[in-house]
Amino acid sequence: MSSFLARRLLFALALVVVVSSSALLLARLAPGDVTAELGPFAGAAEIAGTRARFDLDRNPASQWVVWMARAARFEFGDSFLYNRPVRGLVLRAAANTAVLALAALALATLVGIPLGIVAGSRQGTGAAVIRAASLVCLSVPPLLTSLLLVFVAATTRWFPLGGMTSVAAVGPSGPAWLADVAVHLPLPVLALALPIAATFERLQAQAITDALRQPFALAAVARGLSARDVVLRHAWRVSLRPLCGVYGLAVGALLSGSFVVEFVTAWPGLGRLTYEALRARDIYLVAGCAAMGGVFLALGSLVGDLLLLAADPRLREAARARSGERQTA
Amino acid sequence: MSPARGGQIVASIRAEPRSFNRLVARDQSTDLLTFLTQGRLVRINRASFDLEPWLAERWESSADGRVHTLHLRPGVTWSDGMPFTSADVLFSVQAVFDRRAQSVLASSLAAGGQPIRAAAPDAQTVVITFPVPSGPGLRLLDQLPILPKHKLQGALAAGTFASAWNAATPPAEIVGTGPFVVREYQPGQRVVLDRNPRYWRRAPDGAALPYLDRIVLEIVPEQNAELLRLQSGGTDLSSSELRPEDYAPVKQAEEQGRLRLVELGVGPDADAFWFCLKPEVKGKDPRFVFVQRPEFRAAISHAVDREAFAHTVFLGAAVPVWGPVTPGNTQWFWPDVPRYAYDEARARDLLAGLGLEDRDHNGVVEDARGTEARFTVITQRGIGWYERGTAVLRESLARVGIAIDVAPLEFGAMIQRMLACDYDAMYYRPVFTDLDPAGNLDFWLTSGSAHVWNLEQRVPATEWERRIDTLMLEQAATIDPERRHEQFNLVQRIAGENLPVLYFAAPRLYYGHSVRLRGVVPSVLRPPVLWNADSLSVAPGE
Repeated sequence: MSSFLARRLLFALALVVVVSSSALLLARLAPGDVTAELGPFAGAAEIAGTRARFDLDRNPASQWVVWMARAARFEFGDSFLYNRPVRGLVLRAAANTAVLALAALALATLVGIPLGIVAGSRQGTGAAVIRAASLVCLSVPPLLTSLLLVFVAATTRWFPLGGMTSVAAVGPSGPAWLADVAVHLPLPVLALALPIAATFERLQAQAITDALRQPFALAAVARGLSARDVVLRHAWRVSLRPLCGVYGLAVGALLSGSFVVEFVTAWPGLGRLTYEALRARDIYLVAGCAAMGGVFLALGSLVGDLLLLAADPRLREAARARSGERQTA
Repeated sequence: MSPARGGQIVASIRAEPRSFNRLVARDQSTDLLTFLTQGRLVRINRASFDLEPWLAERWESSADGRVHTLHLRPGVTWSDGMPFTSADVLFSVQAVFDRRAQSVLASSLAAGGQPIRAAAPDAQTVVITFPVPSGPGLRLLDQLPILPKHKLQGALAAGTFASAWNAATPPAEIVGTGPFVVREYQPGQRVVLDRNPRYWRRAPDGAALPYLDRIVLEIVPEQNAELLRLQSGGTDLSSSELRPEDYAPVKQAEEQGRLRLVELGVGPDADAFWFCLKPEVKGKDPRFVFVQRPEFRAAISHAVDREAFAHTVFLGAAVPVWGPVTPGNTQWFWPDVPRYAYDEARARDLLAGLGLEDRDHNGVVEDARGTEARFTVITQRGIGWYERGTAVLRESLARVGIAIDVAPLEFGAMIQRMLACDYDAMYYRPVFTDLDPAGNLDFWLTSGSAHVWNLEQRVPATEWERRIDTLMLEQAATIDPERRHEQFNLVQRIAGENLPVLYFAAPRLYYGHSVRLRGVVPSVLRPPVLWNADSLSVAPGE
């Protein structure tokens, strides 16, 4: 287990370095740079000063080396847009996105998996409605979902239109602040969770249908177990394997979805920060956001692997066997 | 009935403030925060465009217009209780021209390319001396927020002024003489400003200003979401004018009694179309032979039906224009600027006069060597009216045999191409920094960084540009307003005859705000409503 974790940690480190370095270099090599934000007619001295401040007067390789040297000390440079160090900005935004992502993942799991079990194990109108709803949720892009939800919120006033806290929450105590955040969660969480819940439902339905066709399920039916027991106690466990595999991917989907959802709903998270950084070509902020995105992806992948390990006894046996072989050798 | 005291309003802004120090940041959010938290010696009233006493209550000017003696308003204090004196004014001027401070205001506060000077005979008097006579004179000082010496002199001495009062600074450190003080800044969410209890200004009835207890600036980066918030009552106002496509829903909300729609007037800036005319870059391009001829650009001007342009591009909310100074700039607009009536036959004649005819009958004119009048126009991606404007231009010019392909680009890429003259033609709205032409020398002078069609020339490329250079420098140094107008009208005539930039329509600007907001004095300049924040209030009981 410890070697597994060590391998995963190394993988995570490599992922973060590759993703953030690629982001830095791509942001640098694409046409235009952050000095465009000074306006089309900024003076030459102001442009030169800004380029020097963000190391844009160096060649890309030299800039990367300087940035990596700083990043090794957890200093990721300054943001042009926010005029403050990238590290604090990215950490705060990542925490906000984590709140959103965890809530969306929880909702997607709680909605998608039970519906998938129903749709995969039954025939009839109910299953057909679930399938149709999933297809709609999968087809509608997050931009449209979030705009639609904002429109619904504006019309019904059931939820706040956006943001993470309300104006009245200026300087609140802890529980009041948490309650305020909770009130603001439904809109972005729904926009993020619906396509993922649909993905889970579709995967779960297919996996449970496949599991119910397996000989062990037929044997359980032959032994006289109720349909409910066959589905929940036998087929579901087996069907979890493909689902655990996509949990890591779901984190990636949450991150990409959060770009537009956070932008539309004014949620101050990593997706919105990344979007703003990319739009302004705020090079160190782009790299910092990408590094944090890499951390999220690595964590998602790790969680997916651990879930897979927990769900599939054959993987646990194989891991034990490999460990035993090493000890014997 | 006097306005109600107390209450708060919520406004939306689309971007974070880059700093709380306007001397080193020029973004719109920083500018707005400066309006709310800082004072100036004199102020240009955004509605009447008149110069008003502000932190200076009166002044005398020398006959040659170079020396201005300003008397500071007695009893003014900073929001932390420290007295405001002439030392703060001297410090602010010093900071603007300190090289290490890299102030973005240095060039706009210079006259004749040299810095203004400030001296303080006593704590309540400041003498501002211009190195050369200045047409705008004290109006230039409207741009200069006076910053507290006692808070920032250490940073200036240490050479860290450029990063002082950045967005990470604790709000308690930011003091001002404006109507509000920063209470809290939550990055990505909002800036909260509370009433400055030490604000100096009084209402005509003697009541202390501002009326409002609090202004909240919510950061809403997406413009559709910003509109939805306004419509649903989540915000009272936005920081900028409505887009043409937002007019109908806001009008509907007004009819339902939820919002108030205000016409600000014709905007001071118009969308512009120009070719890169830099001979060093374009000289070898065979199309440059005819593009550099004013007749070619006049043909384009004749080919566009400006009424239809205004109707299509701005959905009817625009007026036709023929020059950079729109009717929105009431002080400097000149109605006699050369006009080019919509006349496709005249456009074809002008093209034929340049030897441009459709010889191969493919719908595009070409010269005798077979060089087609075909161009790529760059514009900014994602802005509705730019996309509509270039579409109308494409159709209009196609009818007279000029083909254009449109390439919408991200802002940064577009600016990079513009600065390198790596484009054929461009459609964009360059925003003038000042209504007074002397404040826009960067646009008019051939050496200017905003002389868009041929940036930063070492020597004027054409005789008519040289003439404009001379006239504009004279105009900027002339005190007599009538003489200044004569000189600038001549500049407008020369530009109108040579058409380095073509203008088609200037938008009418509209603004929406909640019905509970009182004391709104709209302006075509930004910020359209919050420039007057100290006199805003909310309806009693709301």
